[in-house]
Amino acid sequence: MRFVLALFFVLPCVGVSAAPAQVDYYARIGLSATTKLVQDRIIQDIEVRQNLAPTLVVGASLPIAALYRAGLEGTVTTAGFHSTEAGTDTDLGNLRTGSITLGLGGPIWHTLGWRAGAGLITYWPGDQSGIFLRGGSTRFLAGVGVDYRHKVMPHWDFMASLRYDFHRFTTDELVARGFSGSQGVQRVSATLGLAGGSR
Amino acid sequence: MKLPTGVPILLLLAGAFAGLSCADIASPSRSQVYEWRRIVPSGPGTADTLSFHWPRSRLPVRVWVEDALNLPAHVRDGIDQWKAAFLYREFDAVVVADSSTADVVVRAGTALKGGFSIIRLGSALAPECEGGTDFDLPGGSRVLVPPIRVFVNPRFDPASPGVDECMALTTTHELGHAIGIFAHSPDEGDIMFSDPIVPEPSARDRATAERAYHTEPTLTIGSR
Repeated sequence: MRFVLALFFVLPCVGVSAAPAQVDYYARIGLSATTKLVQDRIIQDIEVRQNLAPTLVVGASLPIAALYRAGLEGTVTTAGFHSTEAGTDTDLGNLRTGSITLGLGGPIWHTLGWRAGAGLITYWPGDQSGIFLRGGSTRFLAGVGVDYRHKVMPHWDFMASLRYDFHRFTTDELVARGFSGSQGVQRVSATLGLAGGSR
Repeated sequence: MKLPTGVPILLLLAGAFAGLSCADIASPSRSQVYEWRRIVPSGPGTADTLSFHWPRSRLPVRVWVEDALNLPAHVRDGIDQWKAAFLYREFDAVVVADSSTADVVVRAGTALKGGFSIIRLGSALAPECEGGTDFDLPGGSRVLVPPIRVFVNPRFDPASPGVDECMALTTTHELGHAIGIFAHSPDEGDIMFSDPIVPEPSARDRATAERAYHTEPTLTIGSR
């Protein structure tokens, strides 16, 4: 896992030094919605879910063929999370996620582009308790998305993006408690920002 | 009409993700639990079931502890161990400085003699020390009167080998009663066994505590 993480951090540096004039980079902010993290049953059904999360995305890409670019995209979300039992919500504290994906992108139509990537997502809980008693969790992640860009200044584009990604969630504490398998988690984010560079 | 280059890739990936995302995590059965409720005779041939857990509106439970015999450290450890038994913040407690505002009062010494309104939960019988937890439930009432009183008492010189360890596990045991486990486990591997020997809640203790906190209690607690 550490090797893969290191690769994600080293690769973009190599790319940037090799072809600085061709680098395209961007930063966006927006919101992410997430499906349930845990489904449990103690007398009644219990679900754990992250709240709608403010989201920061940064990324960069390089051309690798006439129609394709390869790039790295990092996303950070931070929001509360809660359990729901019999219609009653209980605040479980704060939860931050960080994800990084290595991806491919290309044009769809005019200023609309696509991106698909795979990488890692890490959960950093505000405090180590409950399902995160033994700490956070790092999982593999894969996602797809579409980007819309519109030139607003000579070197800057307005950028609007939709992303969908998927990973399977569990924690060491859930495993220690006898939970088996993992929960499929889907996230959708909508973000707006600026892109600059060579494109 | 020819599709743009990226669309087939996106559709393929989205379909694959949607297919992979169907399975839910499987929760444990939690079937290994013991009876935590207190069954008391209520008349000829009849019995009443007494159960209690701290409602979320009363969390964190305020615990006052006498500064003697290393009790403050044992109480903090005991609180942490019971908090760790829960996955969804069902229970929380803090140590407070003023006993007049406390929901639970922990003292060193022997338990009070039970009066008519006192429910005594049996002492831990580890050889080096003893403990007890008193609940004040006035006759005919379904409302416990706070504070819940916990007593932990060394049977030998506190400096003797094993006494501090006994005080620690007995404090955790008595706090187990104070959070709502009103009965003893029949298994000596559990901290809530009547003569506890393990230092912390077992998987059965945790599952029992979880069950207790997700079951409607028959008793409530008054305010201080």
